[in-house]
Amino acid sequence: MSALESLPLLVVVVLLLSATGADPSAMTVVFDGETDLAVVDNEVVAVGGGTATLEPNATAAATVFVIGGDVTVRGTLEGDARVFAGNLTVAPGASIRGELQTIGGETTVAPGGTVERRTSLAVAPRPRSPVERAGFILAQVLVMAGLAALVARRVPGLLATVGETVTGHALVSGVVGSLTVLTLLVLFVYMAFTLVLVPVSVLGLLGMAGVGVYTYLVYGFLIGQRLPVTRPDVAAAAGVGAYVLLLEGLGFVPLLGTVVQLGLLAVGFGAVLLSYFGLQTWEPVSLPR
Amino acid sequence: MRVTDHLPAWDWPPLLGTLLFVALMTAGYYYNVTFVQLGLIDLGTRLVGLTETRVSLWMAGLALLTLVAAVGFGVAMDRRGWSRAFRTKLRILLAVVTVQFVLTLWAPTIRSEAAFGAWIVAASVALGVGFPTSFSLALDLVPVPDRGYVAAAITALTYFAANALPLEWSIGVFSRVMAVAMLPGILALAVLVSGSVARVESLLDCLSEQSKTIGPGRFCRPTPPGTRSLAFWWPVVLMFGVFFVDSLGFLRIIETPTLVLASWQSPELSTRLLIAVVHVIGAVMAGVLYVNFDLRGLFLAVFGLFALTHVMYTSDLRVAGLFPALARNGPSILNPLFYAVAVSFYTTLNFALWPDLSTSATVGTRSAIGIGVAGWLATFLSTAVALYLDHAEYTLLSHLNLVNALALLLLFGLLVGIYGRRMVRLARAEVAG
Repeated sequence: MSALESLPLLVVVVLLLSATGADPSAMTVVFDGETDLAVVDNEVVAVGGGTATLEPNATAAATVFVIGGDVTVRGTLEGDARVFAGNLTVAPGASIRGELQTIGGETTVAPGGTVERRTSLAVAPRPRSPVERAGFILAQVLVMAGLAALVARRVPGLLATVGETVTGHALVSGVVGSLTVLTLLVLFVYMAFTLVLVPVSVLGLLGMAGVGVYTYLVYGFLIGQRLPVTRPDVAAAAGVGAYVLLLEGLGFVPLLGTVVQLGLLAVGFGAVLLSYFGLQTWEPVSLPR
Repeated sequence: MRVTDHLPAWDWPPLLGTLLFVALMTAGYYYNVTFVQLGLIDLGTRLVGLTETRVSLWMAGLALLTLVAAVGFGVAMDRRGWSRAFRTKLRILLAVVTVQFVLTLWAPTIRSEAAFGAWIVAASVALGVGFPTSFSLALDLVPVPDRGYVAAAITALTYFAANALPLEWSIGVFSRVMAVAMLPGILALAVLVSGSVARVESLLDCLSEQSKTIGPGRFCRPTPPGTRSLAFWWPVVLMFGVFFVDSLGFLRIIETPTLVLASWQSPELSTRLLIAVVHVIGAVMAGVLYVNFDLRGLFLAVFGLFALTHVMYTSDLRVAGLFPALARNGPSILNPLFYAVAVSFYTTLNFALWPDLSTSATVGTRSAIGIGVAGWLATFLSTAVALYLDHAEYTLLSHLNLVNALALLLLFGLLVGIYGRRMVRLARAEVAG
């Protein structure tokens, strides 16, 4: 893992420290070279790269976060060790008096090495079985269909207005959508790096996800209009189901499928924004012919 | 009527007219962004032996002289009726391109500051005469609904060529490439104005007639804004801000080897090609937005992109300062890519805006003031500010931080301006009602 890639994990570490009341500014961050953990002054050490070693017979009273690089404990670590990424090795005869928590990366405790308390929080995704995958898609279809039926029944005009923008102004919707998604993503990531704006960043990402879900409803509504179903809510629900399956199907087409998926998202996103979620019909400026 | 409307009837003159405009503007702008902006620095520092500061002063002088020449010639164009005479504008352009061809050949042989100064003066006059003339051709050749897309095509072609073609940034290389490219252009213009080729005459007659049907620019209907009006000057001021922010930031970026070697002057063709492609995508996006939104939306997009780009540049520098190991893999490619989109956006806007703020009777003055003040004066002032910052030993981060602050201020100012204008209108309606 490069130093740049480990930066988000460093943000997580800082957040964890803040949550526990510790002072993040009193943390030693190591990104390269060789570091002797015994001579580090601070009580918290984050290792993002290079090698960090606690030599035999040495003692360190620190909490060590491993977010990259290699950490080897040969002496006695009086504090906790938390491994997010990278490698941590507890050598024979070495000991960790606190908790060794593995969230990611590689942790090795050699025979003869002692750890007071060892826990793990596995967050690595495991491949889904075909049945699980089908179940997930079905759940997605049901939830989206329910939402689409609800919105189509309560406020059918909203979806119709966004749908008109999608079909009537696909190009400009796509441009606005792609530009907005790209800039907002970058903006939210940079906001997260400031730490104080992490809540805004999270809210922003949730908002984007919300707009993404809304695009499903809009496309579902558009597909539903073309189905031989008279009730608008049922048509929208069926349309959303078809749209979810369409997106899943596109996932099997290499490259082109992804391009189409992103294109649909961009056009939908732009149309939602241009039409104020369907509250207003969007019209381009009038140009003299 | 749009150019594409003529295609089903095989009515070629309007399409050829648009292609002629795209070719002329692309060639002119490519000459400007490569030979003038990059080649002169190499000529002054390496061949003439001047300091970078001295060359920057001459470059600032070039910008100021070009502004003066452009405004003088633009006003003369309108007063003497040359703005409305299609063939006259082509003859002027032939003269300008011929002078620039001679200057292009002369440049690599210059070895003294006096000759360098004389070259700058001659080039300023040629540029000052050239750009109001070339911009005014939009009113003859490009229908109003097509201007956004045509401006996008010019931007995309220019920046694609400038980034994808692996040219060394040296005056010798630029001179050879430009001379080879200009010669057929001069011949083509000479044929156009010769009056001796029947088919060409017929084409020019068609285009002259077409110019009468195109009419005034998009922002001149129903009534054109006066040259002293706020409706004309607020885009000038905003474009000045855009050019200033871009120029002030870019002057420092190209002086920083780690930044420029990881982007515009990368030894990797794939990196430069990526920037070139992103320029094209940005130009196409800007073209689509130009024909669908009003000016406020476009300026908001431009300022927003610039602000975000400089936030990214300064954030990276801050992180690299805190954690030097992060800088080991070089700067992020994302920053120049965003920069490319922002530049393509405002360049597209620049190519379409001034013709759309003009009628055939005012296009000389309007384009001269617009591009002269917004483009050249901004370049002159940003060069002066960059020199001051250089003397004051501003660090890269401090310099880009200042640019970032300006970009954010312009974005915020525009938002407040739009909101305030709406409030004033509502208040007036309330009083009137």
